Amino acid sequence: MNRTARTVIKLFLIVITAILCTAAAYYLCSNITGHSLATASENMNYSRWLEKFFVLTRVTGLLNGICALIWFISARFLFKIDESADAGKRIFWVAFLCLSLAISVGIPHFYAPILGIKLNGIIFGLFSAIFTGIGYWLLTIFTTPLAFKYTPLGARFFGRKL
Amino acid sequence: MSFYFISIGGTGAKVMESLIHLCIAGILPENERLFISAIDPDVGNGNLERTSTALNNFSVFQRLSTGNDTNLFKNKVSIVRPFPWNPTGTDKTLDDLINFYHHKNSPVGKIYEALYSKKERETTLNEGFRGHPSIGAAVLAKKFDDGSKLTAQIEKTIGEGENVKIFLAGSVFGGTGAAGLPTIARLLKNNLADYADRISIGGVLILPYFSFTPTEKSDELFARSENFLPNTKAALKYYSERENLFDATYFVGDTTLTAVKEFSVGSANQRNEAHIVELYCALAAADFYARPIKSPKIIKYICRHEKNSFKISDFPLSKELFVQFARFIFAYVHLIKPVLANLVSGSEKAYKYPWFVDFLEEVDVTAPEVVNFNFYAESFVAWLEQIENLDGREVFLINPALFEANPARLTDKKLFSALDGNKSKVTLHEIFYRLSEPQKFDSTVKGFGKFLRRLYDSCAD
Repeated sequence: MNRTARTVIKLFLIVITAILCTAAAYYLCSNITGHSLATASENMNYSRWLEKFFVLTRVTGLLNGICALIWFISARFLFKIDESADAGKRIFWVAFLCLSLAISVGIPHFYAPILGIKLNGIIFGLFSAIFTGIGYWLLTIFTTPLAFKYTPLGARFFGRKL
Repeated sequence: MSFYFISIGGTGAKVMESLIHLCIAGILPENERLFISAIDPDVGNGNLERTSTALNNFSVFQRLSTGNDTNLFKNKVSIVRPFPWNPTGTDKTLDDLINFYHHKNSPVGKIYEALYSKKERETTLNEGFRGHPSIGAAVLAKKFDDGSKLTAQIEKTIGEGENVKIFLAGSVFGGTGAAGLPTIARLLKNNLADYADRISIGGVLILPYFSFTPTEKSDELFARSENFLPNTKAALKYYSERENLFDATYFVGDTTLTAVKEFSVGSANQRNEAHIVELYCALAAADFYARPIKSPKIIKYICRHEKNSFKISDFPLSKELFVQFARFIFAYVHLIKPVLANLVSGSEKAYKYPWFVDFLEEVDVTAPEVVNFNFYAESFVAWLEQIENLDGREVFLINPALFEANPARLTDKKLFSALDGNKSKVTLHEIFYRLSEPQKFDSTVKGFGKFLRRLYDSCAD
């Protein structure tokens, strides 16, 4: 497989994963704890809660996807290794990991009151696990360009070839 | 088919140095084994010592398994021992070697006394024939069959069913080379007469290309550069009038005589810098090895684009391979070597270097093959730097502004992608990236050889 094909596939994988993570977060959260949260609020019913929660999930999923995408584009096109010292760039990967976590926790925390919905700890936990754990950490293990393929923490355990 | 290369004298040894670099770079034809022999009475000669170091390095790291389908290290070398063969022994004069004392009052002895001056007869020959081919011819003719194992080795190779191409290199203007070229060629031709259809003998007659000014011991017997042109004229007259023993003859010299920086009669102090003429002589050997074993004698001229400069575009063969090999060496010394020891010791994090995790984590990088390759990379860069920094000649095979030697390093990494003056897509980053990409090798490719093979392949344009 040539490099261009690999790049296109990885971009596609990043987009698909962001969509799937959004869908998974929406589906799991709404089924596990959505109903009780919706009925606990005044002037709120389950279908309205779902509507607003879907907006929240999409925003979080989109911003997390952008994190993974920026890491990929940086590693693929922006980082240049002309010296041994240029290799690795784990500090950038960790920075994006922290940003992803901040998005997974911060967006629900600040945006939910604006939307007028209540959330609980389960949602924060699931958002972190799905968006940061799968949507950034696991995704970057498989999509990080080959010159940095072992930069994501734990990537060496997966023995990547592509 | 097997290739033999016989260096004769100090200039021959320097050609051998260039040939070894070409051999390692995969510029010799086919995958044939190259047998290397050196004839030099001045065994402590600094030029020969430097060549021997590169040769010994390669004889160790050629064991690396880089595969059979690559140009890298494809021509293995064998050293024909004794290496170098010293026809004079130690502290011997011409009188000793000819056993003059037994013939002192005989007619033969008197002819001998008439042909050689007292100084020629009584000077010890530890430092070669000192620019006097008449001494060398007598010694070599007397000692070759007993002392050198070359004939026996060639017969052994032929006995194994191989055809043999033998190439001799030496100067026609000095002592050892001028004496040895026709003498050794004739002796080999006679000794191997039974296998005439299985052997081919070629030779490069090196014409003057350097000069020097003696600074000491001016009353001693030694080569004098003012004699180079008369010597050459006499030698060429000899070759034009006598039967040409070579199946292919190459003449290489330079109209500009490069001044040798430090004059020495011989021995370890004779450590002259590499020269483009020697590289061309090595290319002549490569050209000879590529010819069919029995091909008609032809006359070829080689030319270059500009009178006073040598560029990679003037390179007569396989310039792409040479450039790829240079990229490979520079990428190694710049990207790999600086961190290799730290990665092994754990002071550098392995995750940063996918090539280390993929190829080298289980490899012993203190093994002799790796250590010798590291030495070799340094010696290649030093050799290239010497060729490119000639006084009086502009040489631009690899951009001289790109690198420094001792220790080898890149001084301007931006020039790497155009290291031969032609822009290429192969940047250092590109090589690093390619090293991380998957590539299938056959099962014979393994260990550090597998990594070097991957690096070499990554350096292709």
